[in-house]
Amino acid sequence: MRKINKMLSALGSTAILAGLGLVNAQAQDEEWDMAGFVENATFYRDGAGISKSRNTGQFEFSKDFGKKFGMNNFRVSGTLRATYDAVYDINDDEYGKNAGGPRSFENAGSTTAQAIYGGNGNSPWGQSILGNGGPPGAVPPGFLFDVSRNPNQGLKVLGEDMHNPNAGVTIGVPVRPCDKDSRGCGLDDYMDFDTNDLRFPEFNDQLDFIRELYFEGSVPTGDMSELFFRVGKQQVVWGRTDLFRVLDIINPVDYSRHNIYDELEDIRIPQWMATAEYRWGATEIFDDLNLQLVWNFDEFRPNALGQGGTPYSILDAGSFFRAMNNCWENGCTVSNFVPAGAIGLDDPGLIAADFAPGVIGIRQVNLPDGHDQGGIKLEGVYNSVGFSLNYYHYYQQLPVLRGDIVSMNAFTGEMADWDHLIAFDIDFPEVDLFGGSLDFYVDSLKTVFRVETTYTQGEEFANTIEPDLYSESDVFRWVLGIDRNTFIPILNKNRAFLISGQVFGQHLLDHELERAPLGDIGMPDWEDNYTMTLLVKGWYKSDTISPQVIMAYDYEAGAGTFAPSVDWLINDNWRLIVGFNIKFGDGMGDQEFDDCRTCNPFPPFTATPAHADPNQSGSVGLSGIQPLGRFRSGPLGSASEEDEFQVTLRYRF
Amino acid sequence: MFKRAATTIAMAAAIGVSHSYADVVDESFYPYREGAPSYEGLSVGMTINASNADQFKEILDPATYEQLKNGWWEMKVGETTSFDLHPNYVEATRKNLGQVSLGDELGQINGFVAGRPFPEEPSADDPRAGEKLAWNYKYGYNWGDSAAIYPFYWRYRDLESGKIERTLKFNFHFLNYKHRVQHEPVPEFADNPSDLFRAIYVQVLEPFDVKNTQLLIHRSSDDQTADNTWLYLGFQRRVRRLSSGQITDAFLGADIMIEDFEGYNGRISDMNWSYQGTRNIMLPFFNHNELELATDLEEKDGYQFVDFGGKGGCFPNITWQLRKVYVLESDPIDENHPISKRTHYVDAQTFTLPRTLIYDRKGDLWKSWLIGQAHPDHHLEKNKGTGVSIDDAFSMLDIQAGHCTTGQFKGQVDPKLNEVKLFTVQNMRAKGR
Repeated sequence: MRKINKMLSALGSTAILAGLGLVNAQAQDEEWDMAGFVENATFYRDGAGISKSRNTGQFEFSKDFGKKFGMNNFRVSGTLRATYDAVYDINDDEYGKNAGGPRSFENAGSTTAQAIYGGNGNSPWGQSILGNGGPPGAVPPGFLFDVSRNPNQGLKVLGEDMHNPNAGVTIGVPVRPCDKDSRGCGLDDYMDFDTNDLRFPEFNDQLDFIRELYFEGSVPTGDMSELFFRVGKQQVVWGRTDLFRVLDIINPVDYSRHNIYDELEDIRIPQWMATAEYRWGATEIFDDLNLQLVWNFDEFRPNALGQGGTPYSILDAGSFFRAMNNCWENGCTVSNFVPAGAIGLDDPGLIAADFAPGVIGIRQVNLPDGHDQGGIKLEGVYNSVGFSLNYYHYYQQLPVLRGDIVSMNAFTGEMADWDHLIAFDIDFPEVDLFGGSLDFYVDSLKTVFRVETTYTQGEEFANTIEPDLYSESDVFRWVLGIDRNTFIPILNKNRAFLISGQVFGQHLLDHELERAPLGDIGMPDWEDNYTMTLLVKGWYKSDTISPQVIMAYDYEAGAGTFAPSVDWLINDNWRLIVGFNIKFGDGMGDQEFDDCRTCNPFPPFTATPAHADPNQSGSVGLSGIQPLGRFRSGPLGSASEEDEFQVTLRYRF
Repeated sequence: MFKRAATTIAMAAAIGVSHSYADVVDESFYPYREGAPSYEGLSVGMTINASNADQFKEILDPATYEQLKNGWWEMKVGETTSFDLHPNYVEATRKNLGQVSLGDELGQINGFVAGRPFPEEPSADDPRAGEKLAWNYKYGYNWGDSAAIYPFYWRYRDLESGKIERTLKFNFHFLNYKHRVQHEPVPEFADNPSDLFRAIYVQVLEPFDVKNTQLLIHRSSDDQTADNTWLYLGFQRRVRRLSSGQITDAFLGADIMIEDFEGYNGRISDMNWSYQGTRNIMLPFFNHNELELATDLEEKDGYQFVDFGGKGGCFPNITWQLRKVYVLESDPIDENHPISKRTHYVDAQTFTLPRTLIYDRKGDLWKSWLIGQAHPDHHLEKNKGTGVSIDDAFSMLDIQAGHCTTGQFKGQVDPKLNEVKLFTVQNMRAKGR
């Protein structure tokens, strides 16, 4: 312990303070406050086996140096975390070096494919009728790719864990870690993790094993008021909601750790930031008032969505992106892409196509390089009502696909920015958020109410009407939460249960959706959607045993989650959590949307009989589950096949 | 002649009234000036235990009697001593004597400035005597203008096995915004837009699973306004407003609810109050520095905490005094409240609540609540002369569950530990991580 103290003293007094030019600082007598834990979280997924065997060590430290540098309560704090997820070794057939395999792709209803391939008529990767499997010399160069460089191994069919193709488009997804299979890993610093990156996620270029490291202090400006600073790697938490975020958007979130279900505390990605707060305290009008300025001077980090082949890939976006990047770099097979009749076959079905590199897919990711995210919050308590007014300028933390890149016409070889072509870059547009929140207690109902609302400008969404397949929309989001402690005597006559419910709403003000000859086209995101959450939590045996049920339901997706668990605090050191995470309702397979097969990006070659003008690009609405059904299915529906049994054992010290 | 006579009568009346007022205040604050109460067979230094509990049943509250009779612990009898409250508080009482009255509704009070609102002896004929006693408690000199329990250890214990299941370490802070008598600003803070009367701020230091949990309670001057209560949960890094359901719920798994803090931590208007009589009862009042103190929890300055023993380790090793007590009952107005009533044994001199019996919704005795009171002049150096009866040890015994929570205090009457900025929601965020 003495050694650790010395190390921390060195870290605090030398490294940090030296960095500030404050090496003469002398620590007061107060000792370092240190704590930590080691934990194993092992989850078992129905149909997949072990989906997580995460071993975590976390060490937290802080020290109050008292009055230093003109500041009161000068304090240095930090949190270090190291994780080894053994799932990539224990269950490498599913998530590691042996994941995936050869795959075939649907040619729905194609008599030709049936005759060629037999069985169910599915064609192997890279052997499509419109592609390498077609008559030699008759296939345009845009429908050929080198299978020796892009072989039929280590693949899954996009969405295969959740649904059948159902005559829609699917793509092959390389699912092994990027050091085992580099296909689809060409997006620099985005979803390009090697095995060790996945095993040890904190040990990366951003030094994420330093979860937090900051100093803080306050300068008194009056009896009640003070100026407070906190600078360093930190989490800045706005808002009053659980599980889903409305105002709590300053730190991006790592959904690859456990989708939306881990505590935000554990999955916010800390950023190097500076915050300054002027705290008036109580004033003539307000019980409490403070103004906070936040400057995120760190490099931009998007939300971590997981990558293709990893167990937690929210919306399965990581699989889609990896598949599409492989399409761009190496070519790919897409199922059910073309009506067989369109290439002159006397065949009522659909056939798969092999796309050459540089035709469709995702070319690159454009991570913003500005260190210019920041905002302001005025927060206080007025007449017993807690409130905040917020503004934040940031980069959208979820990616948007912009189809405004130059690519190759599969039929002519011509290079151009083709309208309505599914060839994209990933971007993160700038967003301005205006928001506010309230909380208050209604005594007659014995209930606490929480309200948050935001209005954003600059967010972008997929939109198959637009030539570049995306458009901007202002978004209005709100949440109403209620918390009530209620006795349920039949379950516990001495201790009330916490019942906490929330309704989230989202409205896209510039939503576009039109009816086309073969289906709806436009924005797959719902114009209005509502998500409900409910927490019922009880306590027994001096709060050492705490059962709880979390439920969440996405109204438009028709999908929900039911997560009962029991938290047993064995003693002050040991803690065991056992639970289930069960999905119900509709899955991704129940949601379809315009998949842009009929977008006619290479007119007139790709025009369909439904196109009034074969020389005009634009979708006529043929729909499938992939790729845009995920936006209608949401994080709950797209994880419909991820029922899990979960055990977490933690030792704190 | 007539004029002289009238003047004489007027002066006599004035003197008489003045003398009468003085008597009321002195009798309220110095009940032992004319001598300590006594009881046949009771003597300083003796022990009351299973063998002689019956003899002293009349001066024991029912729960204490049962515990002694069952041999769960033994009571050491100490000398009845005067716990003089701060002279400024007494003077404020004297200054405002006769100017305070109850409003028409429960929870309303008129004319109160500072001091003890109703120092007059309660009368059984007064249907609102209980309410007046409750106001005396609410506006009592409980922790003075401000104080901290710094630190404060809670232990969860099994009554049968004595096993210590959990140990929590806190800091507690108390601050009066109004009706202050000793420390500046007197009598109140200038910036107090919500007209707060009092605030309590709690910070959990240990163990790990609840570390950084913080609780803040704002109590309005208007008793009919609900408290505002916030909880900061370290693992969420978020301040959550609490509903009153959580205030009447076990706090962090202890046998204590937030409403039990200090004996009763709620509004006058949450309860019906009834005065049940005046008695001489054994109460846990003692001199801290004269006790055999605990050796397992050490402070750097050498301070030692009150030790615990008896069955399950649920009972403080202290001495008890025979003291004048007002028996006060409170039953919740809310029909869904988890208890049916409390019986408070109010110390007549200090208006602290050293003994409270809590009954479940069926009317059965549920919990026995003890808060030991230490004389400030026999405690920490900084507490000397403060006139605060120091809460020094507590035991909340859940008789039905066979479980108790014990508390060991380091009470410090030190304004520097209780700056007003500590009692803000924003401070909770700042103190958290």
